[in-house]
Amino acid sequence: MAPEGKVREAFLGMKRQDAIELVESEVRSGADPLSLLNECREAMEEVGKRFETGEFFLSELIYSAEVFKAVSAILQPLLKSDQVAEDSQVGVVFGTARGDIHDLGKNLVVTMMRAQGFTVYDLGVDVAPERFIKELKEAAAAILAISALITPALVSMGETISLLVEEGLRKDTFVLIGGGVTTEFARRKVGADAQTLDPAEAIRLCRQYVQGRPGP
Amino acid sequence: MIPETMSRQERFEAVVALEQPDRVPVMPLMTAFAVRCQGLTQGEAWRELDKGFKAMVDTFNDLGGFDKLYKPNLYWPMIGGRFCSAPARNLIPGRDLPEDALNQIDERELFTRDDYDKLAALGWNAFWGERYERMSGRSMEQLVSTQNRLLNQYIKELEACHSQGIYPLFGAYVDSSIMAFSMCRTLTQFTMDLYEVPEKVRAAMDASCDDLIQNALDVASLTKIPLVFIVLERGSGFYYRLDIFEQFEWPYLRRYVDAFVSEGLTPWFHFDTDWGLNLPYLKQLPKGKCVCDLDGTTDIFKAKEILGGHMCISGDVPASLLTLGTPEEVRDYCQRLIDVVGRGGGFFLTTGCECPVDAKFENVKMMIEVAKTYTGGLKRRGRWRPKGK
Repeated sequence: MAPEGKVREAFLGMKRQDAIELVESEVRSGADPLSLLNECREAMEEVGKRFETGEFFLSELIYSAEVFKAVSAILQPLLKSDQVAEDSQVGVVFGTARGDIHDLGKNLVVTMMRAQGFTVYDLGVDVAPERFIKELKEAAAAILAISALITPALVSMGETISLLVEEGLRKDTFVLIGGGVTTEFARRKVGADAQTLDPAEAIRLCRQYVQGRPGP
Repeated sequence: MIPETMSRQERFEAVVALEQPDRVPVMPLMTAFAVRCQGLTQGEAWRELDKGFKAMVDTFNDLGGFDKLYKPNLYWPMIGGRFCSAPARNLIPGRDLPEDALNQIDERELFTRDDYDKLAALGWNAFWGERYERMSGRSMEQLVSTQNRLLNQYIKELEACHSQGIYPLFGAYVDSSIMAFSMCRTLTQFTMDLYEVPEKVRAAMDASCDDLIQNALDVASLTKIPLVFIVLERGSGFYYRLDIFEQFEWPYLRRYVDAFVSEGLTPWFHFDTDWGLNLPYLKQLPKGKCVCDLDGTTDIFKAKEILGGHMCISGDVPASLLTLGTPEEVRDYCQRLIDVVGRGGGFFLTTGCECPVDAKFENVKMMIEVAKTYTGGLKRRGRWRPKGK
């Protein structure tokens, strides 16, 4: 463990270099990488909470996600195989819908989700409905997250969800949509379970689903 | 139909000046939508500019005409070798993307963190004059030639529009300071810069602001349309806390407004993302001189509460409604906008950001018809109350 509260302080204070140096120093001192990773995740969770209360803004999510990426790159390779298994949680298949190559928001949410322990299968951009379904089956993931910034992608979202129904996977899959062009109106039209423009809310919605609680 | 007692131009000028027009002016911000309406691929319209222009005009007429034409074509005007925005690569359908895809900006790092000092020393134009070739792989001569050709084409198309009583909206466009720098660095890297090297960012912005203003003024002087379309997406409270907005967006935006208004130009703030937190600042700008254009993400009804009687509001029929909704749903939303946001004048009914390429024609038509026929429920019923958005 790092000195009490130091990792958290670096994350919440938006001090990338401090966080990296702290983690590197702890690793050199023989600290358990999984414990350190979990400390970073707790700090990220606090960032998410502060975002939801309005204390933090998207920029703080972006910044802390970059910090998390940097420390993960140090810690992940050091995890033992049983720790990797322990570390893997709920699977999320994530991608930008077909016809759209925007990935800024998606990448941020992917990092945030990974920071919160989700196992994310990031399919990238311009993802065809068939590919989403194939990946869901192969990963046995319970959550499908689709992002879009332009309206043709809404049609593709609808097609993906129709295919999910055809394949008999719909009732066992939580479908979350997000991105600039999505709205509650679009959610109803394409048949998704939830819609948000808020990365922290995306994680909360996924957690609620996993814990068997109905969404808001 | 509401009897029209104003010309299209008078109607637009009236709402900017916060006066009550004969009816609410209306404009879908259409480009790609018009191309598809005319049965062209996006690639065809990008390759053959005359076809792109014809598609805009034909769709304008097919929709029964409206008050402003967002742009007469797909491209945007720039003065040769001078940048009104980040010189990011535009991915063109049929060349870089599938034939009927939408053009998209290829956002990547155009300069590094180390370059801020150089920008601070040289300013925006001189920096890009020196850097553009190395960054893009294209020569400045190629760029100047392309930009001048497109600017001349734009001016030719404006003349053709005016001869048909069609009035394109913007005389020039320019990125806000945060928009320009964020697009040059990418959102993530720029955000890291703001936290880690804020003084360097500020110095570079200080040195770039006048160039960006002058570039827009130069284009507007050639197009002779007294409106500057300011692209604002990245500086809102959706992304940044207000102290960042106050340091890196607001002072420069005020300089833009001072310069444009003093030259008789209307600053049109194209506010993508949620600007709700930032709207109160706009009350410090001159009354009845600017337009606050919302994309459907900012609460336009709240915006009316804040800016009503001070600044014209434009917006915000959502893209998803135009694509997935029915004409009745579009009608209801537009009527609500007219009832609430249009009350007392100062409202321009437009699409929330661009009209989506796959909007239903009948939905866009409905939006225009509502503006031409609906006098407002408030007037008729006398006790209409707004509902939650």
